[in-house]
Amino acid sequence: MFSYSQFVARYLFPHAKKVGLLSVCLFGSVGLQLYIPQIVRRFIDLASGSGPAAGLSGLAFTFLGLALANQGLSVASTFLSADIGWSATNMLRADLFRHALGLDMAYQKDRTPGEMIERIDGDVSSVANLFSQFLVRVSGALLMTVGVLTLLWREDWHVGAVMTIFTAAAARVLHWRRSIAVGPTRDEREASAQLFGFIEERLTGIDDIRANGAGRYVMHRFLEVQRGWFTLALRAWWLRSTIWLSMGTLFATGYVLTLSLGVGLYLRGAITIGTVYLFFNYMAMLEAPLDQITNQLQEFQRAAAGIRRVRELLEARRTVIDGDRPLPAGAAHSIEFDRVRFSYAAEGAHAGNEVLKGISFRLEAGETLGLIGRTGSGKTTLVRLLFRLYDATRGCIRVDGVDLQQSRIDALRQRIGLVTQDVQLFHGTVRDNVTFFNREITDDRIHAVIEQLGISSWVKGLRQGLDTPLEAAGSGLSAGESQLLAFVRVFLKDPGLVILDEPSSRLDPATERLLGRAVNRLLEGRTGIIIAHRLETVERVDKIMVLADGHIVEFGPRAELATNAASWYSGLLRISANQEADSGLDEHLERLSE
Amino acid sequence: MTTGQYMRQLIAWRRAEFFTNVVVWGVFHMIPLSYGLLVKAIFDSLSHRTPAGWNAWTLLAVLAGAYASRQATFFVGFQLFSRYYLSVQAFLRRNLLDHLMRARGSRVIPESPAEAVSRFRDDVNDIADYAETWIDLSGFALYGVTGIGILLSVNPVIGAIVCAPLLITTLMMRTLSSTIRLYRRRMREATARVVDAIGETFAAVQAVKVAGQEDSMTAHLADLGVERRQRALADVLLTEIIRSVNNGLVNVGIGLVMVLAASKLRTGGFTVGDLVLFIQLLPRITNVLTFSGDVIAQHRRVKVSTDRMEHLLVDAPPGKIVEPSPLGLTGPIDEYWPETRDGQPLETLEVHDLNYVYPGSNAGIRDIRLRLRRGEFVVITGRIGAGKTTLLRSLQGLLPRNSGEIRWNGRPVEDPGSFFTPPHSSYTAQVPRLFSETLRENVLFGETADDRLPQAMELAAMGPDLAALENGLDTLVGTRGVKLSGGQLQRAGAARMFARGADLLIFDDLSSALDVATERQLWESLLRDRDATCLVVSHRRIALQRASQILLMHQGRIVAQGKLNALLESSSEMRHLWEAEEDEEEGRA
Repeated sequence: MFSYSQFVARYLFPHAKKVGLLSVCLFGSVGLQLYIPQIVRRFIDLASGSGPAAGLSGLAFTFLGLALANQGLSVASTFLSADIGWSATNMLRADLFRHALGLDMAYQKDRTPGEMIERIDGDVSSVANLFSQFLVRVSGALLMTVGVLTLLWREDWHVGAVMTIFTAAAARVLHWRRSIAVGPTRDEREASAQLFGFIEERLTGIDDIRANGAGRYVMHRFLEVQRGWFTLALRAWWLRSTIWLSMGTLFATGYVLTLSLGVGLYLRGAITIGTVYLFFNYMAMLEAPLDQITNQLQEFQRAAAGIRRVRELLEARRTVIDGDRPLPAGAAHSIEFDRVRFSYAAEGAHAGNEVLKGISFRLEAGETLGLIGRTGSGKTTLVRLLFRLYDATRGCIRVDGVDLQQSRIDALRQRIGLVTQDVQLFHGTVRDNVTFFNREITDDRIHAVIEQLGISSWVKGLRQGLDTPLEAAGSGLSAGESQLLAFVRVFLKDPGLVILDEPSSRLDPATERLLGRAVNRLLEGRTGIIIAHRLETVERVDKIMVLADGHIVEFGPRAELATNAASWYSGLLRISANQEADSGLDEHLERLSE
Repeated sequence: MTTGQYMRQLIAWRRAEFFTNVVVWGVFHMIPLSYGLLVKAIFDSLSHRTPAGWNAWTLLAVLAGAYASRQATFFVGFQLFSRYYLSVQAFLRRNLLDHLMRARGSRVIPESPAEAVSRFRDDVNDIADYAETWIDLSGFALYGVTGIGILLSVNPVIGAIVCAPLLITTLMMRTLSSTIRLYRRRMREATARVVDAIGETFAAVQAVKVAGQEDSMTAHLADLGVERRQRALADVLLTEIIRSVNNGLVNVGIGLVMVLAASKLRTGGFTVGDLVLFIQLLPRITNVLTFSGDVIAQHRRVKVSTDRMEHLLVDAPPGKIVEPSPLGLTGPIDEYWPETRDGQPLETLEVHDLNYVYPGSNAGIRDIRLRLRRGEFVVITGRIGAGKTTLLRSLQGLLPRNSGEIRWNGRPVEDPGSFFTPPHSSYTAQVPRLFSETLRENVLFGETADDRLPQAMELAAMGPDLAALENGLDTLVGTRGVKLSGGQLQRAGAARMFARGADLLIFDDLSSALDVATERQLWESLLRDRDATCLVVSHRRIALQRASQILLMHQGRIVAQGKLNALLESSSEMRHLWEAEEDEEEGRA
């Protein structure tokens, strides 16, 4: 459980010095503000009285001097609070970002990038208010309130008592209104996150929408989503406004009350006219802090809703639990699957919908495995389990004898490289994109890897080499070129296990051949799994596994399977020999199973 | 369009609502003038020691009435305002998205999706805030003018001496507004970079995890955060100094009144009530002046926002952003009904000298010529980066061609962007984008012709997938379809294309979506039974062999064209591509 105080301690403590300075400014400012009305009272009494008027100008100039000093303190405290606020929330953003990145794929797949933006930046920005405004202003306002009430008690206990009751009532109302609006405010933020998530997704898919004539439909859906947001926002706004409404009414009562008391006491000759003004002035000084509190309460509700969502995110736990066993060093790893079963919906109604139904095999260090199977047979899932993107529902996976469930995830992923079909790019240079902004990776290493890949001519052809800026979509980099970057990414890790998921599916044959050679070099001395759709891709492997519907239907050394006439693999070879042209594993698989 | 024109059109959109707001909030802002006058009267009645004390009590009763009426005004005003303000946001967002999704021409989003989303959020907010300012403006202005008038009537000399510095402040604000704007812009750019980094990272979250680079991505985000903090602080400091100077001036004003009135108070030329009136009115008058200074700065900020929106919409006609349109925020909900569009059945498609070069680079396509007839199966092939995808996208108007002509049945196509849609054509991109809805919605895309659905699913070979998915067609596919495997995603994209029932099918390389068997099946059934015309990017031998013509691309140009056998004889590039596969086949045999 993450409490407010823990929150404050974790993110404010590092800035203790600045917080101290801020408190000094704040105390000074409150003190000055409490003292200034006393000067005005003396001024009025002196001016309307019959005594010597000599001190009037002196009082006026003292007023001026102190008022200006107060302004200086106020600038300093606002700046300091903003500084502390940004430093603290930047830290929080980084923490959230890191935490969210660490969450399981099961968490990620339900969320749009737009939603994550809203959660990591949007929610935190409203929390920023807690640091930079709420704490400072509200604590200043509280100080001010206590000060004003004390001074009023000193002047006249009737007034002191009435105003204390009034303030207590106002605080009570504040508290009551606060609790009412939090829920709807939260709903509003959820709806807003969904709305922007919707927009972000559609903008990403703009080609698909336009070329398929679905613009009208998308707009219809958009209006539906926006209507939902509108209804919730309207409700949240209304509930928040009732705070202003009730406070406004309270203050009107307060002003009438102080003036009435002042007038009554004055007419009985108990106080001077300057003191009537002093009461009125102090009442006005209560308005500012209490109004500040309500105003900040508005923000606080956002912050509270934000903090609740932040906390929710921070409390989201991965189901994939990190272990402490590192992987043994060494060039290649052995892999062992022991009756591994897996289902994406871990429990409940769909638990029976297993993607892997008892997979057992062993791959020795340095061996290469060709993985064959139709889509949906479980190939991708098998790979995901190796990276611990998910954990097996049942059974056990061992790499070099280490049970994956006990392995350290970071160490594990450092030892495995993956090239997928779809390569995402970041706003940054080619270097940033291959290193994931990791500045510890030197240019020399990148160049060495590019050399090894045999694509140095391609990199040299880029306008500014490694410094060439890459944008999101439409930057002129083709899907195949993006894939070249993915190869560099993997080579940089120097992994002990390499997984190629249809690595050349979108490359033209010439480039593919080039990469093929590089892949061979990469696999040398490493364990490799190649997910293949074509027979020629599996030519280079040591062992072959055929997957179907979550089961292994065949597993063994390629050479052996090739000579065994009863094997699926030899069947595939026979069929492909009879084919007039292209060799498609899936097609052959289908024929065999017929 | 100027900011003023934008705002006028925005107001015209819901004129009555806007002006009701102006009136109600005008009343709301004006009422406090009466507070000042009533409190002055109370103090005057006290200091004159008028015999009848009831006068002060009556005045207090009137004051209470004034307070009550302001609360009532707020109650009404807030409901009017929140509805209007939120509708303005909804309205602007709808118009932005509508143009991107539906307007003629080509729509290339000139920035990252995350940045573009900030147009829908931050810039839309800026404009709505400015509309709010306009609502408050007349009430504030009236308050300022009347307030200064009252002060001058009390004592012209003191009134003038006190108000003059306030006016100077406003002028000072003006000179600083460009600096403020600069700081704001820098701050906003820094924010956009942070937002972008978050969006991109989570779009690629699996890649980041697999690479084990969570920490370096976090360090990168922290760096961007530091930059943003510095820029935000510069902005805060400047704004705060200006604000403080304003407040300081109020106190200087009050101090001046005290100094100037000191002697008059003793002689009765200036009453305690007058002093209280000055102290009451001055802060609000300063607020009004600061507000008007802010209006100018805000006006310029809105200019930046509308500029950025125009940049996003590229070639939108002026005023598109504020064009009246139905919003459907309240009232009965319309059901969606697909539109039936009459197309011109494809006979021939010709492309003459089509050119497109990516801005700021040499990459692109040049002098593309092609011709295809109904029922043909045309394959575009070539090496990586040869321009195949660019050709498909330029042809369909997804990219704005630089020059060239496209003819459909001999007639020039004016706007490929809106023409190359169903029933003329439909398209599957190399990486189709799915949305966080059900699979059915993703494939149908609003089409209600459910009878087309099974056929489309069958063609795209999605049958086995449906059986494997949790809820079949009603499975929620997750963000960008992440719950589907790569192949399923692309087959769903293909199914979506088939479900359009278009004449010309445009595929961008289905090789990773469909295995060869299914691809072969697909071509066969399409070519045999369905009278379909296909324009596809592929390097699969099955596709090349079946092609009625092959367009061989190299460095953005079509370098050879014809049947496979002819090309193998005439083109070394074709032989090169073909042999790369043949080599491997011989190795196997």
